[in-house]
Amino acid sequence: MVPVHLKKGYRLRIAGAPSPQSSGLTKPAHVAAVPERIPFVKPRLRVKVNDRVQVGSLLFEDKRNPDIQFLSPGGGKVVKIGLGPRRVIQEIVIELDEEESFRELQAFSESDLEAADGKDIVQAIIEGGLWPLIRMLPFRDWPDPKTTPPYVFVTVGNLEPFHPRPEIFLNGREDLFRFGVKILNRLTDGQVYVGASQRDDVVISEFEDLITHTYRGDYPAHDAGVLLYHTKSAPSDNRTWYIDAQDLLLLAELLQTGRYPTRRTVVLAGSMANQRQHYQTRIGVPLRHLMEDRAEEGDIRCIAGGILTGYTSSKDSFLGIFETGLNLLPAGNEREVLASFQPGFRKPSYSRTFLSAFNRGDFVMNCNIHGGVRACIACNHCPDVCPVDILPQLTYKCILVEAVEESLAHGLLDCVECGLCSYVCPSKIELLDTLRNAKAAYYKEQA
Amino acid sequence: MKILKAFFDSQRRHFGKGGKFERLHPFFESIESIFFASAQVTEAVPHVRDSLDVKRYMALVIFALLPHLFFGMYNAGYQSQLATGQPLSLIPVVIRGLWIVMPLVIVSYVVGFFWEIIFAVVRKHEISEGLFVSAMLFPLILPPTLPLWQAALGISFGIVIGKEIFGGTGRNFLNPALTGRAFLYFAYPAQNSGDVWTAMGTGSAALIDSFTSATPLAIAAATESGGVEQVLMDKGYTLSKLFFGLYPDSIGASSTFLCIIGGTFLMVIGVASYRIIFGDIIGMLFMGVLLNLFAASTSMPYLSLNPLYHLLIGGSAFGIAYMTTDPVSAPDMNGARWVYGFFIGALTVLIRVFNPAFPEGIMLAILFMNLFAPLLDHIEIKLRLRRRIPNV
Repeated sequence: MVPVHLKKGYRLRIAGAPSPQSSGLTKPAHVAAVPERIPFVKPRLRVKVNDRVQVGSLLFEDKRNPDIQFLSPGGGKVVKIGLGPRRVIQEIVIELDEEESFRELQAFSESDLEAADGKDIVQAIIEGGLWPLIRMLPFRDWPDPKTTPPYVFVTVGNLEPFHPRPEIFLNGREDLFRFGVKILNRLTDGQVYVGASQRDDVVISEFEDLITHTYRGDYPAHDAGVLLYHTKSAPSDNRTWYIDAQDLLLLAELLQTGRYPTRRTVVLAGSMANQRQHYQTRIGVPLRHLMEDRAEEGDIRCIAGGILTGYTSSKDSFLGIFETGLNLLPAGNEREVLASFQPGFRKPSYSRTFLSAFNRGDFVMNCNIHGGVRACIACNHCPDVCPVDILPQLTYKCILVEAVEESLAHGLLDCVECGLCSYVCPSKIELLDTLRNAKAAYYKEQA
Repeated sequence: MKILKAFFDSQRRHFGKGGKFERLHPFFESIESIFFASAQVTEAVPHVRDSLDVKRYMALVIFALLPHLFFGMYNAGYQSQLATGQPLSLIPVVIRGLWIVMPLVIVSYVVGFFWEIIFAVVRKHEISEGLFVSAMLFPLILPPTLPLWQAALGISFGIVIGKEIFGGTGRNFLNPALTGRAFLYFAYPAQNSGDVWTAMGTGSAALIDSFTSATPLAIAAATESGGVEQVLMDKGYTLSKLFFGLYPDSIGASSTFLCIIGGTFLMVIGVASYRIIFGDIIGMLFMGVLLNLFAASTSMPYLSLNPLYHLLIGGSAFGIAYMTTDPVSAPDMNGARWVYGFFIGALTVLIRVFNPAFPEGIMLAILFMNLFAPLLDHIEIKLRLRRRIPNV
């Protein structure tokens, strides 16, 4: 096993972690697909309101490549297609039948998998609607199915607050995970790398033969981009594919059963949630179904996904296919008295400028921006946390003056979009947002 | 606090859209945000943000400078009372010191704030707190006798030419307080060098005979024979006096003792870069030792000064702790910061020893290295980027 030790990075000292307890949720009345929150995809609708769909029926495809399909996470009737500003497709809501019917897709046994042609496997994944679960660095879009990657990374666990723990979603599904790794082995001529945290003893002992990389360090040591940055030896490694371990379970289930998988382990967490734990539920579960009776009163921000990179959602929204956490935080939209001049024993900070530097506990954090926007004062906090040794403040300046070549030389494409630079910035500069937009713009220009 | 909140709430409409003073909104915002933080929530990811903001960052520097202000008042008052043969007990000394120092501080803040508001209004951005630090540093490095109009002119030059024309705090490449000080130094040498370090009373008792107001730096530069240490000792500058700073000098910069406390505080909380500070000290000692090696019995005595004295006399400790560590005018890169500090220290000693026109070298050394900071950064970034595996 290759040890990867991330010396930078930062563990957010935030209260509201979920307990390792896990329980099932009742079947929701609706589920939805949320195209709006799938990066880069340009959806073309293939259903109308009142259409009947099965689990696995085609809902929409990607205009950029119509072969890439997105399938229905539930069986029943399409009751609503939510459109946002400029007719962006926000969600496709399906009212579930009592007994859902499944669209039958191609299934593979272990021996089929060995014998099958690699192209057939790719085709089966695409038709099963799960190709987009595989992503390609550095832009994190789905990869072109016709290409093969130098490696595939499987990342086990997510250190961002808060996501399900791997020992919980892998519990009882170990064989499925092994099957998944076998699938990936058929997709690449190179190696399949599996990266797990050195602290996850359960995972490491269970999959000792599969795990190739063990990471140590704070968030975002788990990220495929970080693992790649610290192990790559040549520019050709940059276009590596990766997949999250829980997504790999979906992929494996799809090929093993021939049915579109719907099961998902998610967490409800954050200081405004009062039953913080893991829940077994479905892809596309309504947020209300998840948080009902489990949230505090008050002004809450619902975050679909992690606290650093997730999406702000209304309570009427749904968890999309990539989102495995619902984090509830205090909105923080009130004016704090003398905020900058308190001793700050309970004020979380990366710096040592508050007495909280002596406080070993975790802190309740809200979504206030905690200050006004200023010019960069070169405090050097962002390069100190950047997991891939970018100088975010200087890369940001390159982007502002539209020096594309220079920003690329600074390693813009190595950026793993972890959000730590924006978090620590005392000038409240939107570093992540700027870097990510510049990356996306470059990607679109290339395409 | 409730009264204050009601006050701000009632006044906000005048500064809001369509209000009488709409253009002065940055002024209102800056005053209000001291008491009540913004209710702004994050719009882009990440959803949570650090509690530290620039306001606190700068407030901590001012906090570290307060002892200098208080000591400066006491010292200025003490020297004035001493020179005019008046009582040296605490209260009269402090009152005298207040009378000398506060006008300079107030002028510095009022004029500095005036320019900052003008630029903030024209550029439609919030007032940056860097001003509050510059306007505090500036009076502390002035001679106590400076006419107020010169102080106003100096801070105007420092804020406008040293900072605002480049875009304000964060975009300046020179230290604004030092820019203003250097401007005064060269524009009005009569009031800014020589016998200006002790404020006399207005028309009151005449100077007592035995009094001399020569600063340690002036003495060191003027020494023609014998050891500088001995000459300083003879004039009453014992080591402890030099260390604690109770002698005629610029208002707040003489006490090495307070600089150590303030500088250590800023380093511990991470606001001042320890790389720059230790770089400064190493550079200073290195050049001091080097000059010692060149010293012969016939050369000037300043050459053989014990290098540690350079840290004690004059404003070097103050410059090291508060001026070189200004992160904006210093390099961004960690390696460059060592080099930057080292050259500031070395240049300070060189200017002091070899240039009789400038008894205090650190001001010019810092401004000089401010100019080189981008170059040092550029070199280190080039070297650093070469180590990356390209990704395009």
